[in-house]
Amino acid sequence: MIWQQLQSLAGSYPLALRGLGMTVMLSLISLVLGTLIGFGLGILRTGGNRLISGLIGAWVDLIRGTPFLVQIFLIFFILPELGIELDAFTAGIIALTNLAACFICEIVVAGIRSVPTGQVEAALASGLSRWHRMRQVVLPQAMRIVLPPLVGQYVLLIKDSSVVSAIGLTDLTRVGWLVVQRVPNGLLVFFLVGLGYFIVCYPLIMLARRLEQRMGAAHGEVQL
Amino acid sequence: MTNPSKGRTGMIEFRGVNKWFGALNVLKDITLSVEPREVVVVCGPSGSGKSTLIRCINGLETIRDGDLVVDGQRLGDPATNMTRLRTEIGFVFQSFNLYPHKTALENVTLAPIHVRKIPRAEAEKAGRELLAKVGLADKVNAYPAQLSGGQQQRVAIARCLGMRPKIMLFDEPTSALDPEMISEVLDVMVAVAEEGMTMMVVTHEMGFARKVAQRVVFMDAGAIVESGTPDEFFSHPKTDRSRAFLSKILRH
Repeated sequence: MIWQQLQSLAGSYPLALRGLGMTVMLSLISLVLGTLIGFGLGILRTGGNRLISGLIGAWVDLIRGTPFLVQIFLIFFILPELGIELDAFTAGIIALTNLAACFICEIVVAGIRSVPTGQVEAALASGLSRWHRMRQVVLPQAMRIVLPPLVGQYVLLIKDSSVVSAIGLTDLTRVGWLVVQRVPNGLLVFFLVGLGYFIVCYPLIMLARRLEQRMGAAHGEVQL
Repeated sequence: MTNPSKGRTGMIEFRGVNKWFGALNVLKDITLSVEPREVVVVCGPSGSGKSTLIRCINGLETIRDGDLVVDGQRLGDPATNMTRLRTEIGFVFQSFNLYPHKTALENVTLAPIHVRKIPRAEAEKAGRELLAKVGLADKVNAYPAQLSGGQQQRVAIARCLGMRPKIMLFDEPTSALDPEMISEVLDVMVAVAEEGMTMMVVTHEMGFARKVAQRVVFMDAGAIVESGTPDEFFSHPKTDRSRAFLSKILRH
């Protein structure tokens, strides 16, 4: 019987690849967008404007304090009620990007706050503009603190992307659900699904670990 | 509010400046004028407000009332571009504050390249010359962590000079240094003073004060208590507080 199941599973190979592709695509796009937006939010959050900082803080708390599944439902089912029609893929990207941006914002804020005040004062005293202070002095030093948890966050993001199967996107997890209807061996099917995620995540886990070890060695900036 | 026409205007002019940290009056009614090319040494017990005084000049601290005019521009005035004014003022910190992720040369060239918009090659040439001038020609590519305290402070001075400032402020530049490194930093400061830089130096180094300062200002509890030539001040202090202070720093 197990032999038949394996044969049947082998036949689902193209579908599995499509699912894996969807998972990687969703993760990659929201990872890039989320990183950009997260850095932007983090820089604004520490920028000294109380109102902007407060608004970002409130939004981040809201997103961190609600289940991701609920956020996806809100975006996919509630926005159309307000006249904003979204396909599942766009909704998934928006939800994942938003989630990633909020967590990355917190990571970036912690990194920026870890840079000693004396560094900012030295940059101020030499007349560097806000942008150059950030770009040349603060961020390179903040990256020491930011990089390891940032890569860790990417791993979480890839795993969280499995939630988008709930709105009908055929990602790796949904492929599992589809296949298990033909091959009634949940243990085997979802073992393979889990393996698929692990193969994508493991290199990142290794990278995070290496970055952490390198922190002590660099002169203040992380060289990849 | 600025009255440049009214009498001589110094490079740095404090007129009735007050500053509070909460309920604490850290600067009390400070009136002080520093002429171009003048070197003023500020001393006093710790907590007397001397660091705060010079940190106000480049806007690292803000004042509550009174006027502070630097290079003809009144601080706190909306017309004063603080970022631009800061490019004319070098500031040397007690703890050096070199950028740890940049080499000595990069520390020196960063602001000239990004603020003064000097082409990189030109900035690097000038940077090498400055580092040679402070005796660190062989440390151009060293990172701060690879340098001793005295070397780091000399890089910090070169970093300020790279902007060709009109004013240099020193906030206890030698008090974080091991004794054997103090003179190498003071020598560089003397050289800068002798080139005619307007300087305010918070320090207890009497040898430096006697050598290059035109004036010593003694502060206590946020106020200027006494001011005079180094000779007057060190040999014949006029107030009990300055005598008590001097007896403490002269004891060893």
